[in-house]
Amino acid sequence: MRSVDVLIIGGGPAGLAAAIAARKNGAEVLLLEREARLGGILKQCIHDGFGLVRYGEKLSGPEYAGRFIDEFHALQIEALTLTFVTRIEKKQEGFLITAVNREGLEQIHTKALILATGCRERTAKQVSIHGTRPAGVFTAGTAQHFTNLLGLLPTKKCVILGSGDIGLIMARRLTLEGAEVLGVYEAKPTPSGLTRNLHQCLHDFNIPLHLSHTVTRVFGQDRLSAVEIMQVDEGMNPIPGTAQRVECDALILSVGLIPENELAEGLGVVIDPKTKGPLCDAGLMTSVPGVFSCGNALHVNDLVDYVSQSGETAGQNAALYDPHREQTLIPVTAGEGLLYAVPQRLDLQSDNSAVTLYFRSRQNLGRCRLVITADGRELFTRNYPFLRPPEMERLTLDLSDRGLTAETEIKLEIEVMPDV
Amino acid sequence: MNITKLNRRLEKHFGGAVSAQLDEDRILLSGHLATWAEVIEACSMAATKYSRIHVVNDIRCDEVGEQPMRCPSLRDSALEGQHPDVLIIGGGISGASIARELSKWNLDILLVEKEADLALQASGRNDGEVHPGIDLSTGSLKHHYIRRGNEHMETVCRELGVPFHRVGQYVCFEKASLKPMIAMYCRIRKNRDGISDTELISGEELSRREPNLHFAFAISNPSSGCVCPYGLTIAYAENAVQNGARVSLNTAVLGMELKDGNIYSVTTNRGTLYPALVINAAGVFAEDIAAMADDRFFSIHPRRGTNSILDKKAGAYMHAIASIKEVTRNTMHSKGGGILHTVDDNLLVGPDAVETWEKENTETHRESIDTVFRKQTRTMQKLSRGDIITYFTGVRAPTFEEDFIIEMGRKTGNILHCAGIQSPGLTTAPVVALDIEKMAVEYLSRSRQVTPNEQYDPIRPAPPVLREMSDEERAAFIRQNPDYGVIVCRCEEISRGEILDALRSPICVPTVDGVKKRVRPGMGRCQGGFCSPLVTQMIAEFLGVPPEEVRKSSEEAVITYGKTK
Amino acid sequence: MCELTCIVCPRGCTLQITGEAGNYTVTGNACKRGEQFATAEMTCPMRTLCTTVKTAFPAVPVISVRTSREIPKERIFDVMREINSLCITHPTGRGEVILQNVLGLGADIIVTADWPEEQDKEDRYEQ
Repeated sequence: MRSVDVLIIGGGPAGLAAAIAARKNGAEVLLLEREARLGGILKQCIHDGFGLVRYGEKLSGPEYAGRFIDEFHALQIEALTLTFVTRIEKKQEGFLITAVNREGLEQIHTKALILATGCRERTAKQVSIHGTRPAGVFTAGTAQHFTNLLGLLPTKKCVILGSGDIGLIMARRLTLEGAEVLGVYEAKPTPSGLTRNLHQCLHDFNIPLHLSHTVTRVFGQDRLSAVEIMQVDEGMNPIPGTAQRVECDALILSVGLIPENELAEGLGVVIDPKTKGPLCDAGLMTSVPGVFSCGNALHVNDLVDYVSQSGETAGQNAALYDPHREQTLIPVTAGEGLLYAVPQRLDLQSDNSAVTLYFRSRQNLGRCRLVITADGRELFTRNYPFLRPPEMERLTLDLSDRGLTAETEIKLEIEVMPDV
Repeated sequence: MNITKLNRRLEKHFGGAVSAQLDEDRILLSGHLATWAEVIEACSMAATKYSRIHVVNDIRCDEVGEQPMRCPSLRDSALEGQHPDVLIIGGGISGASIARELSKWNLDILLVEKEADLALQASGRNDGEVHPGIDLSTGSLKHHYIRRGNEHMETVCRELGVPFHRVGQYVCFEKASLKPMIAMYCRIRKNRDGISDTELISGEELSRREPNLHFAFAISNPSSGCVCPYGLTIAYAENAVQNGARVSLNTAVLGMELKDGNIYSVTTNRGTLYPALVINAAGVFAEDIAAMADDRFFSIHPRRGTNSILDKKAGAYMHAIASIKEVTRNTMHSKGGGILHTVDDNLLVGPDAVETWEKENTETHRESIDTVFRKQTRTMQKLSRGDIITYFTGVRAPTFEEDFIIEMGRKTGNILHCAGIQSPGLTTAPVVALDIEKMAVEYLSRSRQVTPNEQYDPIRPAPPVLREMSDEERAAFIRQNPDYGVIVCRCEEISRGEILDALRSPICVPTVDGVKKRVRPGMGRCQGGFCSPLVTQMIAEFLGVPPEEVRKSSEEAVITYGKTK
Repeated sequence: MCELTCIVCPRGCTLQITGEAGNYTVTGNACKRGEQFATAEMTCPMRTLCTTVKTAFPAVPVISVRTSREIPKERIFDVMREINSLCITHPTGRGEVILQNVLGLGADIIVTADWPEEQDKEDRYEQ
């Protein structure tokens, strides 16, 4: 049986970055990818805008992934593609991974494990859409796969539910390919996607965005023939009497992403109900020592640049992982004004001179201030001109020598500031 | 049934809008009512539970719209002029099991199904419970078949290579004070109705077995279990085909011609046939088929029910079948469904029961999910709507007498009805099919010699399920065929090899839904988000057609509109 | 006055533009690029076009491409038509220019994806 230092599950942007970082830190690395090619979802994200933070360039998804794949190969890291992990067992030392591929079943032992398994899309039934079950109901990612990888047009005239980035991107993409996008409907009173996508995907093509509206039913026996749209109240409940029927041939859903953590849960990794990803320390190690998480499996990111960064953090720390080192974990909690904060804890035994924190505000805010405290003592503040839930914020702090003890609780809070 | 008395009651309730008439051995109701609910009320008033004298509903109703049977668009003459010995109408669990049992004989058996696949209506849209019969009393056909059906299910599933899990059922009670009454009920069921394994267990015992169920006490029925209802239907049909029967999908019966009290010909969209015997297993359309055969002595009143399927993670909450029971006036009539741990380790929650005039409307409604969850979160508090991955509606096909009809035609000679099949029709299907086999062979033997099929093999070679194998076995299969090592559906861990097996199976249904029903890609938590483009591509490769020609289900269920450029 | 959302970076500043052609004043921008964007947006909005081009290979029905630089927004559909008339007949790869100076707009059409290496592997799966 073969044995490696770091095994990475998932060859998307997080897994690639993790593999590269682990390798650069001296580890023997193996990456397992269930698809035929590396790159993950970026393979089908042919739009540009990737890498602005990292490279200062607007790359397309495949180009961005390509840079990492080049480096991955240059470092001679091994990847097994079309390889699917069926089981992970925790051993006295490390983990035993069982994977299946065309060669059969392979068992690999690893000291540290990185889960870079990405996320999946929420489906129609998960947002309580009723009616018939015709062809023509697609998640945006599925529509993107058909359009960008298979060159097949999934719709001629559609409605998009959800103003998440993939939905906006697909509105433009389908329009470019000759389909008619009747409108994007969003149950929330504010858009879910990045502002720049609202502008260049909808506004540029005169595609209307209807806030506080949702799709409640689909019609059509074989292929979808229409959808029912209803206005919703603040609780996102449909308002009786507002139903309207819109004739179309497809409903495309961009109604949220769910981190894929079934493998992690199988290992007993504690999941944060807010992020739906593992509870991690600043080195992105989960509650199970030796198991690391990164990318969209950790929490759903809006920029791939941050996905790569979290991959690098996990990769580096997995390479340096010492199972015999003690941990002193203290909680990092997100206050009311935040949707969540990552990491959710800090290990005082590790180097905390450059801790990267990611957070999202709960609602759209104007001028406000982030305050980080340790048992009420102010550690750090930063002012923001605005915060929006769709746009994740990131900051890197030196938290060493800040008088943190095993009993300390670190808290992130948002204070709204009066308008000037 | 005293018809004068009945008419007096109808008069009192509906002010002369409806009247009854005893016509031969049926109670014919006619008149005009505004709502379907009133029609149901009137017909129920006229019906006697489990009676062989059936209510036939001829009441005009303002609510009932024009809704012809949905038919396939296909038109050809593939079946023109054929003279099958047996024509089975309907590819549900009844039709498929009958076809399989009849394939023991040297007969030309043709099963026609109007849909693009088998088990697309009620047989594929129920919870798959194998019932214990606790709610049935002596005197009904349901009761006549239930215990034997329950027992025989194990044999049949073994022969057909279909998973059957005898997980046990718990009928749960909140009030300890009901215990003496329920104990008596169980004793009657046990001693009079032959439900031999039923017993009362304490709340503690229940929680010990199922830690998420908390009640005062429960009825435990260990013989209850579950199967995959469409899996069983397809397996039956495949075994029938292996043994020489034929299955024609996308084939709708459009009319019949009678001669001398017998069906002379049957017209379909694929040609006119001349069968010796017709078996009516048409589900919600059984009454329409009976009418075509001039043998309409019962009515079907469609009753829809919606089930939710929960993520496999929720499957860990409970491993049996359970539902809360409230004792009301109709003491043990089960409505509002239950919670069931399926053979695939999901939880299934439901169904509800709503009377409807629409036979084929399988739309789901938010209210159904609300109703079922309101009740079932009381069965198990851990139940969460957040775990729902999908939901579906099925339409039951009961008669007003709420019993099965399994008999030769009353007016027409060469028709055999298998009608009014609803719960527990899945449980009873294996033994009902054996009885129908006997009746059919007896009928046909009058006019011809019926000899046993020497080649009959009751064993269906079940396709391999790799995720359930040991590592060694799985590795051996992959060595034989590397496609078994390529996972296409990540949620359900389905390999390329298994999908190709489905496409090469005896009844090939090369659609995304056809493959999904046979080997489960797309049944998991992502609902095909990741694998549907891959499956579409594989089907196209298999058929040698461009991918845009692949369908979700029927011919009109287009997935993509061709190449973007 | 006119309001615009800056799309240069994910920050998405709301820009206010006053003045007339040739002499715009931009406020609300957090950086210099915002000002440039606003001026360009008022005079001749420019966009990068990302799409696919068809190939002659069944295993790779389309491959992704983009314009090497921004093109006028109003010419997007013209350029789409040009790209849709092309067909790749040789295995190509990231960075290859498949059409120079499309419609004289000064932008090339470049391939953005790698040619799938395991195409031979994929062929093995064909029936």
